This record gives sequence, structure tokens and C-alpha cells, in this order.
Amino acid sequence: MKKTSPRSRPGMDRRTVLKGAAAVAAVGTAVTGFPAYLKAAGKPIKIGMPTILSGRVAILGESSVASAKNEIRKINEAGGIEGRMLELVTRDSRAKPDEAARMTRDLVNNEGCDIIIDAEASGASFAVNEVVRDMKQFCIHTNSETSSLTADPKNQVEWVFRSCRQGIHDAVGGGLVAAKVAKAKGLKRWATVSPDYAYGRANTAEFMEYVKLFAPETEVITETWPKLFQPDYTENVTALLNAQPDAVYSCLWGGDLVAFFDQASLYGLFDQFTAFAVNLGDYPVLTAIKSRPAGVYSGSRYHKDVPNTPENEAWYDNFMANSNVLPTNWAWQNAAAINFVAEALKKTGGDTDTMKMAEATSGLTINSPFGVDGTLTIREEDHTLVNYMVGYSKTIVDEPYVVDFDRTAWSEIYTHEAEWKKRNGYM
Amino acid sequence: MSLFIEFRRDLLIALVGLVVLIAIGLGIDHAWPRDFLTSIFAAALLAMSLNMLIGYTGLVSFGHAAFFALGGYIFGLLLQSPAFTGALGAGSVPVALVAAVIGTGVYSVVIGAICVRLTEIYFAFLTLAFQMFLYSVILSWVDLTGGDQGLMGGIPRPVFLGIDLADQYHRYVFCAVLFVACVMIMRIMTESPFGYTLRMIRDNATRAAFLGVNVTRVKLICFVVSSSIASVGGVILTLFTSGAYPEWAFWAQSGEAIFMIMLGGLNVFLGPVLGAVVLRILNDVVQMYTSHTEIVIGVVIMFVVLGLRRGILDFVKDWWVEKQQARLAAENRNGQE
Repeated sequence: MKKTSPRSRPGMDRRTVLKGAAAVAAVGTAVTGFPAYLKAAGKPIKIGMPTILSGRVAILGESSVASAKNEIRKINEAGGIEGRMLELVTRDSRAKPDEAARMTRDLVNNEGCDIIIDAEASGASFAVNEVVRDMKQFCIHTNSETSSLTADPKNQVEWVFRSCRQGIHDAVGGGLVAAKVAKAKGLKRWATVSPDYAYGRANTAEFMEYVKLFAPETEVITETWPKLFQPDYTENVTALLNAQPDAVYSCLWGGDLVAFFDQASLYGLFDQFTAFAVNLGDYPVLTAIKSRPAGVYSGSRYHKDVPNTPENEAWYDNFMANSNVLPTNWAWQNAAAINFVAEALKKTGGDTDTMKMAEATSGLTINSPFGVDGTLTIREEDHTLVNYMVGYSKTIVDEPYVVDFDRTAWSEIYTHEAEWKKRNGYM
Repeated sequence: MSLFIEFRRDLLIALVGLVVLIAIGLGIDHAWPRDFLTSIFAAALLAMSLNMLIGYTGLVSFGHAAFFALGGYIFGLLLQSPAFTGALGAGSVPVALVAAVIGTGVYSVVIGAICVRLTEIYFAFLTLAFQMFLYSVILSWVDLTGGDQGLMGGIPRPVFLGIDLADQYHRYVFCAVLFVACVMIMRIMTESPFGYTLRMIRDNATRAAFLGVNVTRVKLICFVVSSSIASVGGVILTLFTSGAYPEWAFWAQSGEAIFMIMLGGLNVFLGPVLGAVVLRILNDVVQMYTSHTEIVIGVVIMFVVLGLRRGILDFVKDWWVEKQQARLAAENRNGQE
């Protein structure tokens, strides 16, 4: 550090050689360092998937990859698309937006991917959205639930779609169920405990807005905002116990939700209040909670009984037989995306041209085990998924962990979604 | 004029470098080299400007990425404003670029005026504190910055002087020119008497003060210039990703820049560039085979730190100097005989 580098010998040779060596190294590695660059052109239809495979969210990213791979295996075993096989190439963005943007470019430019399945969460999905807009690359977002990604016209792109839940749909569904319960049980004083970042705040605001709309006598008496990945929730649990609300809402998710539930159970929180947790209903979360409380209202994520059809049961069994991770909300969303891609490819005759794929996908309805009546649709007007399962179940201690699914009718969701869009100036 | 004569050799090398970069970007019929190099331009400007503080002045800043992010945000926010692009039309991009650099410069004058009075760990922690302050502002000012989702909806880039930054070739050449221009500015600064004053302060600030150097002022100038250059890196990354994200202002981004400097070399001007290239290639190649990138990168850094005990170019430079000295000594011995 303290070493001096005086210009004792203005040796032109030395400096020139150093610069030359650096330049040669850079150019050399640029040309030879990437075998994939040379092997870019391939016969199979390549699907690129930037996602999160490290950190606390990795469990969701891994289930996304497992699910997409499983669907691709099924399609390939059935002969592929026009005789061409599908191939999945994944990249770990570590949830960093600029890394996701770079990885997406890399998947297209370096790996020669024809289609992008954006399995990123929140922030990074907005970065991918801009990259595929810029590169004019067909893309389906599969994990970001932030409503504005497809609802806000400034984010809409002609060749970009979304095949996953949307915050506003769950908020309407959750609000309706919560209002029903609130009226039946007389739950007037509400508290919230949600992660302190854009998704947590927006989701909680939307949920409580609809609870109040459907049950006007309710009021929020306290809000507590733990940090993302916070290890200790004592202060939040204490705040809730001090406020003594009738009901609690949380949109904590993944490991945070598990940690919160385990710690809150020690204080007997769930014996005192009625709790609603939109992200509770995922298998890895439900199985990871040590003392699973009964009677908590859990938002629909993925469950083999929701919908309770032989097709969904068969999909679950097939997934479990072919993967070493548990199915999650991200898993069904990515499976659906691969099915949409396959169906669109069938319509274009295997042509991956961006505009042809966009035309084939817009307004597309497919048969799917995850749909309300066995079908899922990517809506033409805003390129987003509709007709999936929205509603709330109640937890029980043992398998199947959740029961009594209360499904929200899509007609109700459409009405309130349209009003919400108008209020936000999206239409 | 004398500046041109004094640095004619460096200017010539810079010009040749620029021609080579443009030739690579335009000559190879593939987007990958352009993408790879554009991301290197951004990362290298961050690392090289940080090395002006660390390597040349002895100020280890942990908060340098704040200026990188600020540049990107100012540039992106201005271009996203219909009033701004409406009023300036074709001049929007150059004005936004200048505003990003000047805006960051002004911010860094305020931060620098407080920080450069301190040294060592106190300086490092204060810069870190200001970086986390900016990070918190970006996260909480959701209406302006989009919070943790960053600038959404793309960055409009009105065509100016026939340059269309929505076109990948134009964008690449524009970024390459920015990069080389900034490198040249840093070169002139570090090789001028001012640069030697920086080294003097690094080696013995007290002695420098006794020689009549206004240590605080010199440090502040260096702090402001390096921050402004970091902001150009942010502008390049904003153009590349069509957005700006709060992660750029997180301490880990500064940490990555320090890694690049450690990896490439502290005492060689282009060391941080090599560090940026190596780190990026490592990241991308490892990504192709496994998602455990951090373990592999960690092992490589451990090898460099424990094995070479300095950056790669520092090692090469020392080896070269030793070899030259050995040759001279041998010649002297032969001459005596």
C-alpha cells in the first residue's frame, strides 16, 4: 500500500509492454475464453432463464428450474416441436438487477437463446423487461407479482408477457375472504407485519384497501415492518402483542415467513389473533415451519388439491417423481410459461421469430392443470395471466397442511381490477 | 497545448486503444464482444477512479459506488422526464451526461469536504456511511426513484448529432469514446505534478504539508474528480441496462470495485481494468457450469492475495523490474570483469 511507484525510469519500453500485455490478454480472452460463444448456433430451440439460484431465495429459483426442465422433458419425450427439441439454459443473477440484465444479454448473444423465460423476482424482472424491450426478444415473466410490471402502460412491450400471479388479483381475492371472515368473527382491529421494501408495502396497502372496501368497519391499528432477511422478529411480535389487534396480515415470504412463524408461535401469537398470510401456502414454507399453527388463513400458492382435479394431482406426482425439490408457486408459474411457449411454437410452426411468437401468445388459452376450469389465458389487452387459482385456504397441522379453499370468482377480480387500473391512471 | 506535447505518447496509445476497441466492437459480427466490453467500460471506470483514491492517494473509500449510482440515476431520471427531453430535444443526452457528471461532482464536493479531513478507517467508514445514506434515500424515495425496483419503463435516448443510442453499434462506440476519454483524464492527472503530489500525500502527508502542499484541498480535488469519473461509469451502465438500480449504491458494489483493484493491481495504472476483465470473465465462465460463482471467485481472490501477495499487474511489474535489475547487475559485473 505504502509502496511508491516513482517514475524513476521513464522507460517507454516497460510501460508499452505492460499496456500491450494487458490489451493482448483482454482481446485474447475475449476471442478464446468463451467456448459457448463458438458453439452458439445450435439446432434445438434454446430457452434462456435468468433466475435466482443463490441466497435465501434460491429454493424458489431451484423449483423454477426443476419445473421448467420437467415440462421440457415431457415435451421432448413427446417429439419436441416440429421435430426440434427444447433446451433450457439457466443463469444465476443472485437477484441483482444489472446482473440479470447482463445475464439475459449473455443468454441471447452468447448462448443463442431464442426465447427468454424471466424467472427473476421484482427488481431484476424490471431490468430484464428493459433488456428484452431493447433487444426485441420474445420473453415471458414468470415470477414477479408486482402489478405494475404489466398493468402500467409504460412497462408494456409488444413481445413481452407474464405468466404468473399478480399482486392486485391476490389483493382482491384476499380482501374478499378477509372481509367475509372479519364480518363473521367481528374482526375490526387489524395489524400488519410485512417486509420493509416496495413489494411488502405495496402488497399490504392493496390487501388492507380491499379489506376496508368490503368490510368498512375494519381499521388498521398498527403496522410493523421487519427488514428483509431479518433474523430476529422479537420487536415485531412484541409490537403486535402490545397492540392486541383482532387480526394480523402478513406478506412475509420464504425463509422470513418461516422464521417469523417459528418465533411468533413461541409467544402464542396465533392463539390470540386470526392471522392471514398470503405467502404461507407453499410446500417448502409449510414443511419448514416447526410448530405449524392451525387455523391460519393462507393465500393460494401451489397445492396439489388446488384445484382439486386429477390433472393437478397427476402434475404434482410427476413433478415429485422427477425432481428433488418441492413444488412452489414459482414452479407452477414456470411450468405454465413453458406450456405457453410450446403452444405458441406449435402455432408458428417452430418459428421463434419475436413478432410471430408475440402474435401467437397474445390472447392464447392453453389447457392447464393450474387453471380454474382447466385452462389458463394470457390476456390480450395487457399480456398478463388470468384464470388461475386465487383464494385462501386454512392451515391444519398435518398433511395436506391446508384445507377449505375459498376460491375468488374471476368476474369479481375483473371488476375490481378495472377500477384499480382507472384509479392508478393505467387505463 | 503543452499538455498535448507532454502526453503525446499517452494520447497516441489512447487513440490506438480506441481504434482497437471500435474495431473489435464493429468488426466482430456478434453482439457478445460489444456487450462484454460495454459492461467492462462501466466497471473499469468505477474501479480505476476508485484506484485514484486508493492506489495514488492512499484513501481507502468504501463508498465510491454511491457516485457511480448517482451518475446513473441523474442521467436516467433526466431522460425519463418528458419536460427535460421536450425542452432540450436532440440535446437531451449530452446535457443529461454533463448534468450527471456535474451533479455528482457537486454532491462529492459536499461529501468530500467532510470525509477527506479524516484518514484510514475513519475515512473508509464515513464514505461507507454516506453511501448507505444515498442507498436509503434511493430505496425510500419511491415516487422519484422507483424504490427497490429501480428506474422503470426504459430510458429514452433522443438522437443527437446523428448518434442513436438505441442502436447497439452507436451505443458501443459512444461508450468506448467516453471510457477512453475518462481513462485519458485519469492518466493525465496521475502522471502530472498533481499526480505526484497525490503519491506524496499517500506516502507521507505530514511531509507534504511541510513542503507547502494544501493536503486537504488536493485530496478533495482528487475525490471530486474520481467521483465524477465514477458517475460516467454509472451513465454507461444506465445506457447498457436501460435502467438504474439501488444495488449500484449498495456497499457490495464498492466492495466489488475494491476486489477488481486487488485482483488487477494497485500500483499499475491499468491494473483495475485487468481486475474488472478477470472478475467478469471468471463470473461468466463459472456461471456456465455452476451457480456457485462466489466460492470460485473467493478461491481465486484468496490465491491472488495469499499466493501473489499483490495484484496481477503489480506482480508482473515487480517481476519485470527484478528481471531488468538482474540483467543490469549482470552487465555491470561483466563490465567490471
